[in-house]
Amino acid sequence: MKGVLATDRRGMRELGAEEMVGWDEVTQGVVLPSFDQAIGNAAFLKPEERPYSDFSSYTATVASWRVIRPVYNRDICIDCQNCWVWCPDASIISRDKQMLGIDYDHCKGCGVCVEVCPTNPKSLLMFAETETIEEALAKWPEKKKKEK
Amino acid sequence: MAITSIKNLKEFSTNNERLEGAHLLCPGCAHSMIVRELLNCTDDNLVIATNTGCLEVSTAVYPYTSWDTSWIHIGFENAATAAAGAEAMYKARKRKGTLKDPDAPVKFVAFGGDGSTYDIGFQWISGAIERGHDFTYICLDNENYANTGGQRSSSTPVGAHTSTAQAGRVSYGKKQKKKDIVAIMAAHGAPYVAQLAPNKWKIMAKGFQKALETEGPCFINTVSACTTEWKFNPKDTINIIDLATDSLMFPIYEIINGRELNILYRPKTVVPVEEYLAAQGRYKHLFKPENRHVIDAIQKDINEKWEYLQRREEAKV
Amino acid sequence: MAEKMELNEIEVWDGNQAAAQALRQAQVDVVAAYPITPSTPIVEGYGAFVANGYIDGEFVMVESEHAAMSGCVGAAAAGGRVATATSSQGFMLMIEVLYQASGMRLPIVLNVVNRAIASPLNVRGDHGDMYAGRDSGWIQLDAFNAQEAYDMNLCAFKISEDINVRLPVMVHQDGFTTSHTAQNVRPLSDDEAYAFIGDYKPVDEMLDFSKAVTYGAQTEEDWHFEHKAKQHRALMDSYVVIDRVFEEFEKKTGRKYRRLESYMMDDAEVAIVALGATVETCILAAKELREQEGLKAGVVAPRSIRPFPFNEIREVLANVKAVAALDHSVSMGAMGMLYNEIAGAMLSAQERPLLTNFIYGLGGRDFAVDEAKRIFREQKGHADVGYITTEIQQFSGLRGPKLGFYEMKRS
Repeated sequence: MKGVLATDRRGMRELGAEEMVGWDEVTQGVVLPSFDQAIGNAAFLKPEERPYSDFSSYTATVASWRVIRPVYNRDICIDCQNCWVWCPDASIISRDKQMLGIDYDHCKGCGVCVEVCPTNPKSLLMFAETETIEEALAKWPEKKKKEK
Repeated sequence: MAITSIKNLKEFSTNNERLEGAHLLCPGCAHSMIVRELLNCTDDNLVIATNTGCLEVSTAVYPYTSWDTSWIHIGFENAATAAAGAEAMYKARKRKGTLKDPDAPVKFVAFGGDGSTYDIGFQWISGAIERGHDFTYICLDNENYANTGGQRSSSTPVGAHTSTAQAGRVSYGKKQKKKDIVAIMAAHGAPYVAQLAPNKWKIMAKGFQKALETEGPCFINTVSACTTEWKFNPKDTINIIDLATDSLMFPIYEIINGRELNILYRPKTVVPVEEYLAAQGRYKHLFKPENRHVIDAIQKDINEKWEYLQRREEAKV
Repeated sequence: MAEKMELNEIEVWDGNQAAAQALRQAQVDVVAAYPITPSTPIVEGYGAFVANGYIDGEFVMVESEHAAMSGCVGAAAAGGRVATATSSQGFMLMIEVLYQASGMRLPIVLNVVNRAIASPLNVRGDHGDMYAGRDSGWIQLDAFNAQEAYDMNLCAFKISEDINVRLPVMVHQDGFTTSHTAQNVRPLSDDEAYAFIGDYKPVDEMLDFSKAVTYGAQTEEDWHFEHKAKQHRALMDSYVVIDRVFEEFEKKTGRKYRRLESYMMDDAEVAIVALGATVETCILAAKELREQEGLKAGVVAPRSIRPFPFNEIREVLANVKAVAALDHSVSMGAMGMLYNEIAGAMLSAQERPLLTNFIYGLGGRDFAVDEAKRIFREQKGHADVGYITTEIQQFSGLRGPKLGFYEMKRS
């Protein structure tokens, strides 16, 4: 997880906490460059390989929007990628067809990932923001019997 | 065109995101599910224009952008024309040899909500499609002006409550039918027009890829369930869209060259529309005895539309 | 490659043809347009040049003027040379997007062939549309005849696309009076004209895929003010580049332009400030008065309406005793725009002339040399007694009882 999330720009700021520069320093024409350097088509670079500019929302966090959050249980996951395709916040980290975890800087805690998770028991469950991952994993439910 | 593999979700998931998180869409919003899927359908460079609306105000609020592609917003109504202008410039510069990378493949895409598509931007889209620009217009149809707090649009269905078509003591909500935008756009003779839904991710991805690959103007209406204004729990976005497609409230189909109609999804078991309506707060008042007739009328309309679509498909005209 | 056109040393063009030829010589990449009288021949002309291989550009005939400017904005953000033309109601429909073009700092040249604004509907020339654009953040240059319509277009591209400006530019000419009156025009050759403007230099272009850019972000109270201030500063500072481009143009053609034109002002006792083709009428009147009556009359005309030549107005009117500001549009419920701008400038001058305001020529009503002479003489009357003897705002050439507003307060 660390490798794919750790850039020094990561989740740097709460929205609204950016530096309030003066009229002489705002960008011309309100244009926002996504990257600091010419990188070519971003489709060919993984997020951790991109030189995001301070203007990319990738560098910001909306973690404070959440009151509950999904916790991921690797032991049960089948890497189906349902959670990846339906996450509205690009917060399911998948690399090489494997689900690696949740991007808690960008996850808003909607719970869609839990709803679309097909395993039994689910490999993603919602827990209060105050609970640690370890506490959550310790409470994981058993496999449910099929109702007849 | 560099289309990406959509054989299965595992392959699809190897694409690199081009819409970043920390955008400001509501938790559980279907807009970004649809946009992410479009972005992941191709490796081509993209020039994206977006009408004013939820997507626009949530992905480009100074000093942040959530886009890793070229992106422009001008006004409420003119994303189609912005894309058309950029496409025209591309053609001119390609001919003159002034592009930095003349061989880089590029696709032009415009997004709008139903407010900007069915209503205020209707003429701009019609014009751009008639002129034959090589672009794809995608409507994120959440059946109301969600960005301004949930007013009626001409996409709002009969019986839904909105802040400007209120359900009240003597009113059952919106009286007028939803505009058939797919038929209208197909009537332009556009080479590819479709109605798609994000719960059927593969059908949607196929449709997106078809539109991007097709030369000329393509139009796609997508179902974007709105947790805030349809009034359901954010976790249920995909569940609600499942009910929408399986009740045939949102049939999934394509129309090629304004003529050939293909149904792309047939539910194994068709769900009564009542279940779809009951899952959303905006239809709550329909379950009062005096409004029962509205539910019956909605069901009747759905049945007739489905019958019509099937007959058109069979007729191959 | 576009074919070149052999031009005569002197061509007989009307203002629309002159503008269309300038668009051709600039090799505009994209024209997105919707036709409206009297500007239609400009975009028809561009279309004909494209159809006959004289331009390699794209001619996009959209379904409304709003879409025309929207297409221009999309095209300009995609990094190439863009122009269009409109008038009157079309201009009004465009207005929303005019502000967006300038806010995004996109170089676009818009030919505005001035025409009155409904209601009541009218196709003739006045400056209603020009005035409606004055807060839109565009540079506004005014051409008084066909030659200038050509010259100002060439200059407009160079100013607009300058790296230190990057603002859209309107080139105004009067509907019919200039746009449809054939006059002698001395064009540059295609090569000279293009060399003067130069190649387009893209900035933050959407078609440079190595660097993704977002155009048109939203700003709320935390950021909006700073962006608007920066844009205002750019427009205020654009005079430096306008002056430089006019100088370069003079070197190339011998035709000298200034942001504030003045004629016979060196010793002028009375002056008219006007815009558009009326300037030439007033020059004729002033000449005749000087010759026949010894009246020291002069004419002042902003070539650049935005940025407004505030300093230059103060300088040129410093020693004038009485000035009439001629507004070719009525700013309903207030004094005319030119009157107000001049009054604003002169309020901080050491010497202030007596300043009156004439509303004239609405909807294409003729304004003749004799009327200009009458206005000069009236100014002389004010100058002689040292106060304004008439109402401050008067209507010129209007039927019915005399209409006027406000009188001078005298102690």
